[in-house]
Amino acid sequence: MIRLRPSLVVVSLALASASGLAQATEYNTAVKQTPLMTWTGTPTTSTLAKSESTAAAKQVDKLLVEDLAALDVVIKFGRRAPDEVFLRRIYQDFIGRNPTPDEVTAFVLDPSSEKRSKIISRLLDDPRFGENWARYWRDVIMYRRSDDRAQLAAPALTEYLTEQFNKNTPWDETVRSFITASGDVRENGATGLIMAQNGNAADITSEVSRIFLGVQIQCANCHDHKTDRWKREQFHQLAAFFPRIAIRPVNTDDKKSFEVIGNDRPRRLAAKQANRPVGSPEHFMPDLKHPETDGTKIQPVFFLTGQSLAFGTSDADRRNSIAKWITSPSDEWFAKAFVNRVWAELVGEGFYNPIDDIGPDRTCTAPKTIDCLAHEFVDSGFDVKRLYRIIAATEAYQRDSRSRRNPNDIPFAANCPERLRGDQVYDALIAALGMNDQPGVRLSAAMGGAGGKGAALLRSPRNQFDQIFGFDPSTPRDEVTGSIPQALLLMNGPQINRAINASRPGAGLSQLLASTDDNESVTTELYLRCLGREPNKTELHACLTHLKKSNTRAAAFEDIQWALINSTEFLQRK
Amino acid sequence: MCVQLHHCVGVKANRDGVIGRRDFLKGISASAISAGLAGGLLHWTDLVTAQAADLRSRGMACILLWMQGGPSQFETFSPKPGTTNGGETKAISTAVPGIQIAEGFPELAKQAGDIAFIRSVNSREGAHPRAQLLMHTGYLPMATVKYPTLGSLVAHEIAGAAGQLPSFVRVGGVRNTGGSAGFLGTEFDPFDISNPTAPPTNTTVPTDLARYKQRLNLLNQLEVAAGSGKLSPESAEHKKLYERAVKMITSPDMKAFDLSKENDKLRAAYGESNFGAGCLLARRLIESGVTFVEVVLDGWDTHQDNFGRTTKLAETVDKPFAALIADLKQRGMLDKTLIVWMGEFGRTPTINANAGRDHFPKAFNVALAGGGIRGGQVIGETDANGVEIKDRPVAVNDLFQTFCQSLGMKAETENMSPIGRPIKVVDGGKPIHELFV
Repeated sequence: MIRLRPSLVVVSLALASASGLAQATEYNTAVKQTPLMTWTGTPTTSTLAKSESTAAAKQVDKLLVEDLAALDVVIKFGRRAPDEVFLRRIYQDFIGRNPTPDEVTAFVLDPSSEKRSKIISRLLDDPRFGENWARYWRDVIMYRRSDDRAQLAAPALTEYLTEQFNKNTPWDETVRSFITASGDVRENGATGLIMAQNGNAADITSEVSRIFLGVQIQCANCHDHKTDRWKREQFHQLAAFFPRIAIRPVNTDDKKSFEVIGNDRPRRLAAKQANRPVGSPEHFMPDLKHPETDGTKIQPVFFLTGQSLAFGTSDADRRNSIAKWITSPSDEWFAKAFVNRVWAELVGEGFYNPIDDIGPDRTCTAPKTIDCLAHEFVDSGFDVKRLYRIIAATEAYQRDSRSRRNPNDIPFAANCPERLRGDQVYDALIAALGMNDQPGVRLSAAMGGAGGKGAALLRSPRNQFDQIFGFDPSTPRDEVTGSIPQALLLMNGPQINRAINASRPGAGLSQLLASTDDNESVTTELYLRCLGREPNKTELHACLTHLKKSNTRAAAFEDIQWALINSTEFLQRK
Repeated sequence: MCVQLHHCVGVKANRDGVIGRRDFLKGISASAISAGLAGGLLHWTDLVTAQAADLRSRGMACILLWMQGGPSQFETFSPKPGTTNGGETKAISTAVPGIQIAEGFPELAKQAGDIAFIRSVNSREGAHPRAQLLMHTGYLPMATVKYPTLGSLVAHEIAGAAGQLPSFVRVGGVRNTGGSAGFLGTEFDPFDISNPTAPPTNTTVPTDLARYKQRLNLLNQLEVAAGSGKLSPESAEHKKLYERAVKMITSPDMKAFDLSKENDKLRAAYGESNFGAGCLLARRLIESGVTFVEVVLDGWDTHQDNFGRTTKLAETVDKPFAALIADLKQRGMLDKTLIVWMGEFGRTPTINANAGRDHFPKAFNVALAGGGIRGGQVIGETDANGVEIKDRPVAVNDLFQTFCQSLGMKAETENMSPIGRPIKVVDGGKPIHELFV
């Protein structure tokens, strides 16, 4: 994937000015202290905020058509996804699981015209909604960790996020808690992001800006941005909110951990902290020509608004201030970064791609649509579940999927198949093969792999599985490819093949075979368990033909089950 | 997509001279072999060797012996006997007059003519994770970019459409360290082998081969049926991946993982340890077309009992490292295979209260052999107490430039990160020219 930035800038300017983003016209003018907050309410939003989410979804679809019409091409939207495709999609997207065969049947047979919105509501209230998205955000944060010991913080981070998503904590509040967090990283999950960057001011700066604002300001760490407006000084002004963060090891008899602290008196820690940041009263921008010198002392200034603090401000005041400014309702990019990410995960493609690289100098494929959703998000008080509800109710979400489009094709004409994350594949396998209540048929030993110090923490079966199937969710999805170890595990993993074995008493397959002689029913049930749908005629025919050629009925169905968990469809949601 | 890309990498004809047995093998083209002309004449390992050399760009390969934890320079290749900082470690002479190394390496001393000892490597990273990433990628870790590790870089730059095995294998890796392919994509991730004396994980077919083929056949039919008669692009990619995986595990090249194919004498030369087996496996893999093998030995973080522990570690490394050089040389493969011995940093000149040495990135040593570098020399030197570099400092990017020069990689090649930021194979630095004259 080669992206030529300069040409994109031109396009982005054209698009931006067309959509009335006034700040785009300020490009190339003095930007140092230019506030970028030209973000004000538009006429569409005031009514939208008060309306029901279905009405909001209709408005979004309407704006999307307008946006796409501006591209001056013929739009051929895909049809609405069939019920079983929609159901597996919404289950995977919301709670990270396949629907059970019973759930599929009940849904497909339900004559209600409201059944899709009902299932959307039900899954939003399912505690697995929080768990699924907590794991997603844990991966967003932890895949970019600069220190592997940060993994210590992962369980608390996941637990914390699960709670926030399930309670529907407003997004701005959650983000403020990450930026201002302190305490034991195994107890306070909100310290996860700071721990992932080992307390390093520059790295925290990069990640806060990338994850929460979608602005990749870190390139300006060492030099002025070539294609962006950001200056090197602006990066370091943002870093100047974080210099007093320190990481202190916690070593007691029963516990090894780390603590994030705001250290306003750095010298007290310095002696025992060989390899950990002890905090510095102020941030210094390194002198690139003379790296051995201290560099220039930098005052905290927020690059989007120009808001600043004085030298000498305490850690708490620095972090509370920047947390407030970054998450301000008037901060366009804060709202858009979240909207863009959630939309991309649900619809299959972001308004901006990659999803964590947005900002005033980037191309947006549907500017009115994201504006509308972002305003809606702000006006609702950063109501996370409401945003999911609206997007899931749109036609754009509910359309049938097509393979990832070519660059020349029109965006959002269809939903897009998405590769499942490690956790999703793991849960799908457990459920499909009935491995839940079968001790001795856990997935753990399927992996092998190296041990070593500190590995115990990562040895849970799920974590080991994730080592092979996991990926950084911020990576553009068309750049995430399957791997040989994944194929080998699914094809040959001893645990998986044992779970498939129909002759083992109590196995999912043996019970199924004993319950009926009807091979068509068994085939259908296996398709439902693995893929959440019934087989089509050709598939059924292929399976029944395979049965005829096989030595035993049991062996044939073992093969069918094996083929289904090794299929493309098993590893993606359509 | 990446799967395709890999196979599209051009197979460049080898223009370089090849010595010894290789010359003979080189004379037989890969096509002649596949046509069966040589089938009756050569043993299978000869066949794959010939192909492997043809298929790797310039036939170059690399073996990284990674010393996890940070090996003490005083107890390896920069001894300071008779000084306080040198501790109790004695020095021994080597096959090269004037070059002395620590007493724990008598076998390696005999091979010194093929080894270059660099005693003046330095960095500023004294914490394991950052230093390990720096020494594996040539870059300081950064939150927003996952830099590729050396093995992935080399595989990406110079692995051709080699045999059926993965282009980068890591043996005995310590979980989560050593890095991955990063932004180059999973295709260039290391293929991990935890135990070099057992078949790799999940490569044993769960049924008899006939039924396995039936299963795969059924899978193909169902994939086509799911797409109403034709494969979706995702399924087509999935199919390619599965074909590669199946080809790999059913290929004769898998014999490379079976160390019992080696004679007892040679196995004994590599020693009894898992690290020794890893070194032998590395040679066999390179012979079978693998481009990069990393063999990891953990335990060098000697904050306590430095002298007792490094004595044992030296014993573990000495024979296999020496045997690897001799074995590759005897097979005519040494000139085409760069061996790198290194860890993340060195250890403090001062001996601490626990008879240990702590982290010291200011001056540490690295050993190189093969790959066209001139052995029998020492690069750089520290002062009498081993505190300061007094001659020819070598930075980490100089080291990476040196790897590139040896392996025929262009250091200035730019790869694109996901946000379209061009990142050079190596940023800055100069190759150590003395190694190539």
